[in-house]
Amino acid sequence: MIEFRNVTKRYPNGTIGLQDATFTIEKGEFVFIVGPSGSGKSTLLKLMLHEETPTEGEVYVNEFSIHDMPRREVPYLRRGLGVVFQDFRLLPNKTVYENVAFAMQIVEAQPKDIRRQVPVALALVGLSKKAKVYPEQLSGGEQQRVALARAIVNNPSVLLADEPTGNLDPETSWEIMNLLDEINQRGTTVIVATHEKSIVDLMKKRVFNLEYGRIIRDVQEGNYTNED
Amino acid sequence: MKIRTMKYIVKEGFANTYKNLLMSLASVSMVIASLLIFGIFLMLIINFTYNLNRLKAQVEIAVFLESDISQLEAGDIELKIKNDERVLAYTKVSKDQAYAQLMNQYLEDSDLLEGLTPDFLSESFRIHLKNADDSAAFTEEISKLPGVEDVSYPYESLKKLSAVLNWINAGSMVVLSLLLIISVSIIANTIKLTVYARRKEIEIMKYVGANDWFIRWPFIIEGVIIGFAGALASFILTCYLYNSVESYVNTHALEYGINDLIKLVPLGNIGGQIFIIYAIIGVVMGSVGSVISVRKHLNV
Repeated sequence: MIEFRNVTKRYPNGTIGLQDATFTIEKGEFVFIVGPSGSGKSTLLKLMLHEETPTEGEVYVNEFSIHDMPRREVPYLRRGLGVVFQDFRLLPNKTVYENVAFAMQIVEAQPKDIRRQVPVALALVGLSKKAKVYPEQLSGGEQQRVALARAIVNNPSVLLADEPTGNLDPETSWEIMNLLDEINQRGTTVIVATHEKSIVDLMKKRVFNLEYGRIIRDVQEGNYTNED
Repeated sequence: MKIRTMKYIVKEGFANTYKNLLMSLASVSMVIASLLIFGIFLMLIINFTYNLNRLKAQVEIAVFLESDISQLEAGDIELKIKNDERVLAYTKVSKDQAYAQLMNQYLEDSDLLEGLTPDFLSESFRIHLKNADDSAAFTEEISKLPGVEDVSYPYESLKKLSAVLNWINAGSMVVLSLLLIISVSIIANTIKLTVYARRKEIEIMKYVGANDWFIRWPFIIEGVIIGFAGALASFILTCYLYNSVESYVNTHALEYGINDLIKLVPLGNIGGQIFIIYAIIGVVMGSVGSVISVRKHLNV
């Protein structure tokens, strides 16, 4: 569960990232965060990851209080969160398998768990056959699927995706969104910041509209904008 | 920390060092240069101290008695010397023996000693102490005894030698600390490059929830590897140089007949300690450099 209570984020240069945001996202929900560039979508995700801390208000993610937690607990917060970015962020000198396994190695997982879970994650994103391939030999959509496999391999309860289809063509974007939906069906909370109007409109999920750092609209089964 | 985590950290540390080979080698050479210069000072100190102590032990204290002293008083003084715990050995030089020695020394100019009889000379005791450090106190005490005319001990010259030694000591400390600062900053710079080269990986590690120390340790290991490699290389170089200097000094000392006076400490006696000192300094330089760099450039 994720809860924001009157959260305001002001950056040191005076920019408002988020203003007086209050909402709750229950376990297993699928939420789109939409809005123009600079409206605060990334700030929202960064606050959940403790990449930024709120200037005012309270942020709760799983059992952690982001607004007043010791730094040494941050890794444990993040182990419960999977993250996917627009630019994939794969390691070019590691194979697909190694990229996914890396996420488990650095949280000191048992080698036998790594051998069991990495193939499962790769199968879920449909890349079992490309396990030994290097990222540069993959298409953009495939790279993003590797990133998805890496994000879910540690079984996080929440998956955060920041513009996951920003670099992909429409067809590939749909594949990724369908994957996110499938991951959501398995019980993972999924939060997606996006610009993809057509996808948001068709998927009928909960939508937050952000503008100038404010959540101006929060609807279930919503569209990208108000005009229906 | 789990064993396989340690394995991972050490492996990554070595991989970092290797991927950054050129900068690593530059850092290693800096460590070598620092340790070699420090080593020269260290060797000077060790050999000065060694020779000074040998000199002190060889020097004898001569206690000259008043020429008109009675046998009884002379016996008293001899008893004092004999029973003193600090005395290793002593010999008594009678007036006749002193005269004979003198005649021997001035064999060719014996006319200089014309008219000199043993009676003009004083009896003396030649004393070796167990510990050269007691010399000052011992000399002081013995010179106060009644019937003692003079005590000769090259105290001033030894004091000057000790002072020189202290200066070398202080100088080497200053040089060492300067070199340490330079080396540490060069190592820190090398580690900075590794951090930069691996920033993508580090970012992913942060997002997936790696512990701070899991991210930091490989860089510290890299610094330790650089420091230790530098220490090892400079130790080998030091041994080689020292051996050459030692054989040069020893053969030439023999040529000039001063091989009793100057003698270098054999390498076998100090090699182990030198290696430990080098290794500690190298490893400390390396890890301090890494920690500085990691703190500055790794916002984990």
